[in-house]
Amino acid sequence: MALERVFLKATCGQMRVIEVILASLVIVFALSFANLFAVTPTSPKYEVTELEKLGYNVLYDLDKQGLLPRFVYSEDWSNLKAALRISLPIDVYFNLTVYDLNRTQINDTPIFYGDASAFENSKNVASVTYGLVGHDSYNPRILVLQLVRG
Amino acid sequence: MRRLIVQKSGQFVIIAVLMIALMIISIAPLLHRTVTYYKHEPWEEYLALIGSIELNSERLVTLSLANYTQTLNQDILTENLEKWQIDTMKIYSGHGISLTYEAAYLNHSWKKQQSLSVANVTFILDIESIGLEGYKFTVVELLNLTIIAIDESNILVSVKDENKAPVTDLEVGNFKVIDADTNSTIGLEQVISDYDEKEQLIYRLVCNCTVPTSVIVEVWSPENIHAIAKYSL
Repeated sequence: MALERVFLKATCGQMRVIEVILASLVIVFALSFANLFAVTPTSPKYEVTELEKLGYNVLYDLDKQGLLPRFVYSEDWSNLKAALRISLPIDVYFNLTVYDLNRTQINDTPIFYGDASAFENSKNVASVTYGLVGHDSYNPRILVLQLVRG
Repeated sequence: MRRLIVQKSGQFVIIAVLMIALMIISIAPLLHRTVTYYKHEPWEEYLALIGSIELNSERLVTLSLANYTQTLNQDILTENLEKWQIDTMKIYSGHGISLTYEAAYLNHSWKKQQSLSVANVTFILDIESIGLEGYKFTVVELLNLTIIAIDESNILVSVKDENKAPVTDLEVGNFKVIDADTNSTIGLEQVISDYDEKEQLIYRLVCNCTVPTSVIVEVWSPENIHAIAKYSL
């Protein structure tokens, strides 16, 4: 009780406490600010998972906009390649192959971007399979998108 | 209690404690983000997969309805559903996907002032690889054509989808007008879209002659779903 009274009434050293609080605030704000610009490293362990997620999301977004079935069923491979290049980050290389249900390749020209050696040498090549039901009639297509970071 | 309120010497300590607590709370989200940055969330990569199956199943119902309204083949929906059920397993082999349906409905009500073509399917999706079981989603596709009024050479119609939202971008090629008495086709000069307070968007079909008292209007949506409405004065 006596100690409490002393503690509550003691006024000397207040400036030190203010200094500590201000210093702590500066550190917190500095950390928060630095966090905004932090470039977090990619994990080799989850690299393939991250690329798979990216691949699924890109194909799904293009499908939702109606671009994917339009380009695939009209066999407009150049526009499909352009759409993928726009949608994927610049350092992600891709190779898309379109098959029918019997796994016969449909695209006669490669839908490819990047360095071919990156696909051969990298240990982290992600492969995403995506299905389309048809455009005017029931005619499924299988899209296999391979992704690798360049 | 009174003593505590009256005393002023401890106020500074309380403020200091509150500020330290505030700082700890501010740092907590930063620490949480750092700790969980590499935490693997298996759901995230499958959300687009589930979305793609839903989207393509919806498209299957649309193209089945379009086919049904062209051919009136009542089996087309179940045929397509059964094929899609097998093919999803083939396409996504390795995921343990099973797509089934529990109710499939296909119908049309034509040659009335308010006509419609409709399909309704409830799907059940299981994905073994992520432990997803019994995920149900319902797809409804509908095209509603209503002849609102006839005025000399103009026919006012509204075309709506399953959400009662107007179907946009319809042109002369999407409509056909027939004299119900003689069964002859009436030429369309142009299709003008107008705003209507009640219907939101209506189409004014401008014919090349005076519209007869009994008329049939046919419409094909951009997805090629067909509907036929009839209007008699």
